[in-house]
Amino acid sequence: MSLTAPEKKLLKAITTKGSAAAKIVRQLDLIVVGILFFAIIAAFHIHIMLTVGDWDFWVDWKDRKNWVTLTPMLLIFIPAALSYPFMQRFGLPIAGTLCALCLVIGEWVSRIVGFHMWTYFPYSMIWPSIAIPGLMLMDLVLMLSRNALVTSIFGGSAVALAFAPANWPILAPYHLPVVHIDQVVSVADLIGYSFTRTATPEYLRIIERGTLRTFGGESTLISTFFSAFVCMVLFFIWWKIGEWVTNLGTVPNRFKSMVGYSEEEDDEDAKETV
Amino acid sequence: MFKLSKLIEKLLLSIVLVAITGVAFAHGERNQEPFLRMKTLHWYDVKWSVDNGSTIKVNDEVTLTGKVHFFSSWPEAINKPDTIFLANATPGPVFLRKASYLNDVPMIQSTSVDLGRTYEFKVILKARIPGRHHVHPMVNVESAGGLVGPGIWVTIDGDADDFVYSVTTRTGLVIENLGSYAVQNVVNWHIIWALIATFWLFWWIKRPMLVERYLKVKAGSWNELHTKNDKLLALFMIGFIIGLLIYANNVTRDAYPRTIPLQAGKVDVIALPIHNDGLGIARVKEGRNNALVVVRNKKAEYFLPGRTVTVVAEITNNSTLPIQLGEFTAANIRFINHDVEFAMKGVDEGYPDELVADQSLQVSDNTPIQPGETRTIKIDATDVAWETERLSSLLNDPDSSYGALLFFFDSEGNRMISEVAGQILPTFID
Amino acid sequence: MAATQEGLASSKSVEGWKLNLKPMFLGMLVLIAIFGTARWYQQWAAWDYGLDATDPMFDTYWMTVLWAEIIVEVTLFIVFVTYFWVTRDKHLNELTPRKEINRMIHWISMLAVYAFAFYFAGSFYAEQDATWHQTVVRDTSFTPSHIFLFYMAMPVFIIIGFSLFTYAITRLPVFAKRISLPLVLTVCGPFMLLPTVGYNEWGHAFWLMEEYFTVPLHWGFVFFGWSILALAGLLNQLVKRMILIMPLVVDEQGNLTS
Repeated sequence: MSLTAPEKKLLKAITTKGSAAAKIVRQLDLIVVGILFFAIIAAFHIHIMLTVGDWDFWVDWKDRKNWVTLTPMLLIFIPAALSYPFMQRFGLPIAGTLCALCLVIGEWVSRIVGFHMWTYFPYSMIWPSIAIPGLMLMDLVLMLSRNALVTSIFGGSAVALAFAPANWPILAPYHLPVVHIDQVVSVADLIGYSFTRTATPEYLRIIERGTLRTFGGESTLISTFFSAFVCMVLFFIWWKIGEWVTNLGTVPNRFKSMVGYSEEEDDEDAKETV
Repeated sequence: MFKLSKLIEKLLLSIVLVAITGVAFAHGERNQEPFLRMKTLHWYDVKWSVDNGSTIKVNDEVTLTGKVHFFSSWPEAINKPDTIFLANATPGPVFLRKASYLNDVPMIQSTSVDLGRTYEFKVILKARIPGRHHVHPMVNVESAGGLVGPGIWVTIDGDADDFVYSVTTRTGLVIENLGSYAVQNVVNWHIIWALIATFWLFWWIKRPMLVERYLKVKAGSWNELHTKNDKLLALFMIGFIIGLLIYANNVTRDAYPRTIPLQAGKVDVIALPIHNDGLGIARVKEGRNNALVVVRNKKAEYFLPGRTVTVVAEITNNSTLPIQLGEFTAANIRFINHDVEFAMKGVDEGYPDELVADQSLQVSDNTPIQPGETRTIKIDATDVAWETERLSSLLNDPDSSYGALLFFFDSEGNRMISEVAGQILPTFID
Repeated sequence: MAATQEGLASSKSVEGWKLNLKPMFLGMLVLIAIFGTARWYQQWAAWDYGLDATDPMFDTYWMTVLWAEIIVEVTLFIVFVTYFWVTRDKHLNELTPRKEINRMIHWISMLAVYAFAFYFAGSFYAEQDATWHQTVVRDTSFTPSHIFLFYMAMPVFIIIGFSLFTYAITRLPVFAKRISLPLVLTVCGPFMLLPTVGYNEWGHAFWLMEEYFTVPLHWGFVFFGWSILALAGLLNQLVKRMILIMPLVVDEQGNLTS
């Protein structure tokens, strides 16, 4: 697709260093960065907290099965969908990275101000998981391939494949064995037991309980690969949803006559979908 | 105008309804439905190692002991106690839970219990956050939430920063303070990844973003949008991220070669023996003619204005000594028969006042029931506690039934406990 | 720097480009004041008076706040939306491109205030709700956490959203000529939070008594979070409009011509 004459003129205008046009669009950029920052924290955080939040809140929920399997699957929804407009409209390979960074900022603020300062949970119990590496890899694959299918396979799967390795360095110290009141538990279990969650008892943890087969302790790997396959599919589905929402377009406005437009007048530009 | 006032009326009514139902739908200590509180757990012989209203310091310990009975006429609305967890009802982790036992079995994990049986509990807490806190024993029952026992007020004095809880792992590592263990490592890795992410974002944000790039996308100028440098950087970043993950995991594996997964097995616990000789309780669902005291509910009523629950029950004394009804307890409220000395002695000084009504238990015939005698007695339990504990909202209950424990004492002070349960009828007329 | 258009008989000067972000910052400061005060209040009043909903002190410290909030919010909603509608631009068809750009950028800066409110509703107060309810025994729908999350943060967010919507359809040609679906979803979609709150409370009363977040009765709110996707669609429309009208007000060197 090529540019129209006014568009070419505009491109020249905004690429002229120091011009008013350049200033306007640059200021628009920065305001939008602010909007996206807060809005993405809000949206992505609420999406994650109500789906896989419990695993993220507590150190004694971070198991080898549900946490590793479900978190990447839920992490991919919004970044995959936002990848469409970011990339296909603006050529920006930053949806995953932005979402991941925003999420972790929102989570830390909440853990510090809410979980710790309000309800007194210690930081060893409430640290959030790391989502950045996998979602960044997704962005990088999208940028280099510019192909949704290739990104689904290699970028989508990367979100899952990178999740456990990104978090094990911070989780490992909490999986040392401890014997407490004649029972063997991990340090994570002990933290969960010691710092009372009045309304969230032990049995509520949706974690691996008595695995049927651990295949020599490879539970994490199995969860990771299963999650990776599902993420491939989810990336593509949500990319398509992102495409649909971005191109939703407009419908007629019955009230336009009240602001000075006649009934016959219509906006051809708005009707056209890209 | 008429229509408008009707509308306003409807609006007000719906606001009021929302307000009322907001309260009636509630389910916490006092706002749990009466049938739930009276027919699930009964706590007795509850003792705290510190006095009600006392002040302790950060790091001091408080031990809760006593017995908890799982009522045999368990409500249908909730699951049987096949999965339960012994806990403490305190405002969250203001106390650290150091240890907990049910019949001497450690209770880090969940367990299952039997209906109609009694268990001895012990919970050891360590004071952590200064403030005035209510401290109760509690059992979480799957699908029912937390069922709370009686509580006392304890004030914790001192500085929260002085709190220390040290643990030694099986691998020999001494953890100085469980609350801050390995947190620096968590923070460090988060900062590293956040910096990497910020760098990538900054790489793009520092250039014009929206209008210019939109136009270039439209023109198909992808080589300008993603320059050679951008692509090289992307390739490098992929390699760097994967490399960093591999490196971090190798280092971690070397530092922590022996780790275990989260532990989540249930533990088994055996109930206290069934006898109603003070250790166990005769259950409503058993026609146990060989129980020492057999109780059969005949009729129960509650008189709303007078805050009285009246139970007519048939008592059979199968023991060898005369007995008297000493205590009637339901939903943590204890109605004590003032005339029975052993019952009065059973109330510790410092037991929460608001849960003890020691002037308010009237028995129609208070004379001792002789061995072998069967007598029908009328028990009146009157106290404002029915209202303050919101048990009078039986009227709003979809299940108008009650459950209680009756404590009998013989002439030597031996205690026999029986369940009593049945339908309960509201009465508004004296 | 004023520049005169060539060829015009009149000496009409061109208004230089000056971005006024004061309303945006003011809006954000107001939100910080409101939400900061609420959070401070929670820190002590939740523990001292908020643990037992049957206690008369709960009514004094929490239910009065709730009723005050509702009254103020309903009033503000009506006032703002009515104001923007009543003072609408009745000659939008005569709006010059330059004025349109000025208004659009101003409106976009206020969208930042909206995003800021969204942050408090969707992130700050929302995750706090988890820690409060997983710590204490829930005994009312109107808990100290809910009173500021469902009955303050979310309504504030909705009030700002509807105000922005009303401003947009009465002052911005791009949104007045035809109704933008992404716009509706972004700024009005969150209204659907309110019935979701009802669904949530019903669930907590009748369905699930255990306290954890990953339960179906919460998933209505997850849909609300997905409205961010509509924000991307909205930005797409805004940028398209900018590209359409900017050439009318700048020359090839990037100077403003009107």
